[in-house]
Amino acid sequence: MWYNCGMKIKVFFAVLACKCCRSLIRLLGRGGTDFPGRVALKICPNLLGYLAKDVTTVIVTGTNGKTTTSRMIEQSWTDAGISFFANKSGANLLSGVTAEFAVHSTMTGKCRYTHALIESDEAAFKAISKFVDAKAVVVTNVFRDQLDRYGEVTHTLENIRIGIENSKNATLCVNADDSLCTSLHDMLPNPVVFFGVDTPIYHDRVEELSDAPYCIRCKHEYVYDYVTYGHLGGYRCPNCGYCRPQPQVHVTKVLTTDDEHSEVIFEESGRQVPASIHLPGGYNIYNACACMAAASVMGIDMELAAKSLSSFACGFGRMEKFQIHDTDVRMILIKNPAGCNQVLNFLTQRTEPFVFAACLNDRAQDGKDVSWIWDVDFERLTAMEGVLSDIYVSGVRADDMALRFLYAGFPKERIHVQKDYAQLMEEATSQKLPVFVMPTYTAMLALRGTIAKRYGYKEFWQ
Amino acid sequence: MELNICHLYPDILNLYGDRGNVLCLRKRLLWRGIDANVEEVSIGQKLEASKYDLLFIGGGQDFEQEVLLPDLRGEKTQELISAIDDGLPVLAICGGYQMLGQYYKTWDGVQCDFTGALNLYTVGSKQRMIGNYMYTCDELGTTVVGFENHSGKTYLGDGVKPIGKVMAGFGNNGEDGFEGARYKNVFATYSHGCLLPKNPQVADFMLKTALERKYGAMELKPLDNSLETAAHDYMQKRLSEK
Repeated sequence: MWYNCGMKIKVFFAVLACKCCRSLIRLLGRGGTDFPGRVALKICPNLLGYLAKDVTTVIVTGTNGKTTTSRMIEQSWTDAGISFFANKSGANLLSGVTAEFAVHSTMTGKCRYTHALIESDEAAFKAISKFVDAKAVVVTNVFRDQLDRYGEVTHTLENIRIGIENSKNATLCVNADDSLCTSLHDMLPNPVVFFGVDTPIYHDRVEELSDAPYCIRCKHEYVYDYVTYGHLGGYRCPNCGYCRPQPQVHVTKVLTTDDEHSEVIFEESGRQVPASIHLPGGYNIYNACACMAAASVMGIDMELAAKSLSSFACGFGRMEKFQIHDTDVRMILIKNPAGCNQVLNFLTQRTEPFVFAACLNDRAQDGKDVSWIWDVDFERLTAMEGVLSDIYVSGVRADDMALRFLYAGFPKERIHVQKDYAQLMEEATSQKLPVFVMPTYTAMLALRGTIAKRYGYKEFWQ
Repeated sequence: MELNICHLYPDILNLYGDRGNVLCLRKRLLWRGIDANVEEVSIGQKLEASKYDLLFIGGGQDFEQEVLLPDLRGEKTQELISAIDDGLPVLAICGGYQMLGQYYKTWDGVQCDFTGALNLYTVGSKQRMIGNYMYTCDELGTTVVGFENHSGKTYLGDGVKPIGKVMAGFGNNGEDGFEGARYKNVFATYSHGCLLPKNPQVADFMLKTALERKYGAMELKPLDNSLETAAHDYMQKRLSEK
């Protein structure tokens, strides 16, 4: 009784403190989400468990595609009339997730919505899952990421495994084409909905290093019937028989892909539904597929979920569009070699001239080690003779980026180092050609800030 | 003129950007009108070290390094030892550096034998040594900047000299203040970054050593290093200000 009473008081003050901090930060014109959560957790360390206990929660985790997949799921939930909130603006650590629950709760800690959609950093998933009893956990993929932050891929996988182990009641939505992800099924008793793509996506892919060439069970080299990208595809181990499982939710055909959409056919339990995915890039076909798997777990009709894919908007640096001086600017966030190579797979399909800009930062959220830029097949980009006009480099490590393009064979006189973001946008748009900007995370935040201020776009928390 | 470069285990020892070193060697040869033939040798392929003028080994993740050990032992080890003693220029990074040593002992005492081509050994620790770092290279009269990420602490034995003194970061073991290993024409370091593009003196030193061994004394044609120097100096300045 006393304990309960004490808990309620703690929850009250923690929620209050969190809401106050958040309002204050916004008044100051910032978009911080981490600090209010940290304050709340100081007051009540178990706050998340209390707030989340009656909320049906779906967690999206994995290396790449978390945010986009979440936005797609969000659209399908909205269209299906589900009452929910989602952690926007990249607040995906324990503190950020706690803050999101707090601001969507009443002062007594009751959530205003029946459902929550939580995107979670794969390392933070381990912590969050101790407090949140998820209905479904979506694992998008596992790629080699910022090694200084996450360690090796097997370490990332282990974090996800522990998180799922905490999520005893969750149905898993797992990428069948990712040999690392599917190994989770071996280790855990949870029911699984596998999703995957049955065919290659690109005719001609950039050269990539595989992050998982050897069998996770027996260390023998895999054989692939086809590769979609990276280490994803129809893999099998000729030694121990470990192989791609038959996915329940899958793309059977990729009909067309262009600068704006991908047209695909989804299949589930023998039923086929066409979909137009309102985002270019082959990797977004996987994100859409993950969304369809999540819809299946939530009991959302396949046709409705497929329709949602054509109307959702992602933004926040994920193929986000801006108009600056009547020039189209697309911003594409990059985090690691796998993601960056997928951006190049998309860009190298272009036949119309464009300007390219890369903004490389090396703060904690970007990954402190910038070596990975040497693993990306920029040679394919710099070889786009007559299509790629100029390259601008910016960010804290602009000089490293410039070197990468120089050694990829791009003429030195067409590589421009411009560390000032405002100046960068002016120069890059001066040629009246479409601009593709590829920033790392903190560079994206800064660049969006500059664009918001100078050209009248909204900040992300507005 | 031409150089034959061997990239050992390119598909396995390819941690963050190490292949950029091979690209850098190749480009700096081509810009000087010298041909570069790069051959990749991996698991199950015979290493004929005498065919090459320069050999590169990168670093890998633990899982992948375990995959290659059975292949490295035996014939490839013998080839490496005799080629190195014969003066073959070798550039080894991180895991590749450790593999040139005698063994790796994990922090809980399990010993894993390596090639023993160089008199050095590595002991695992629970602490990971991560970050941008910088060390002197007196031999070339320059500083080297890069990124280290290792939990192994490497200790040099007799006959092997460090490349230089750590100015910022951890280096070989975070204890004795030294970084890297030099033995005959071997240049071994923990530096990712990737190493050569922003340390062009090191790149040219490897190339010059290989070319002179093959063709006799020569001077390398100077190149415009403005972008390389900018990247090097930016990090040098940043680490000096700490």
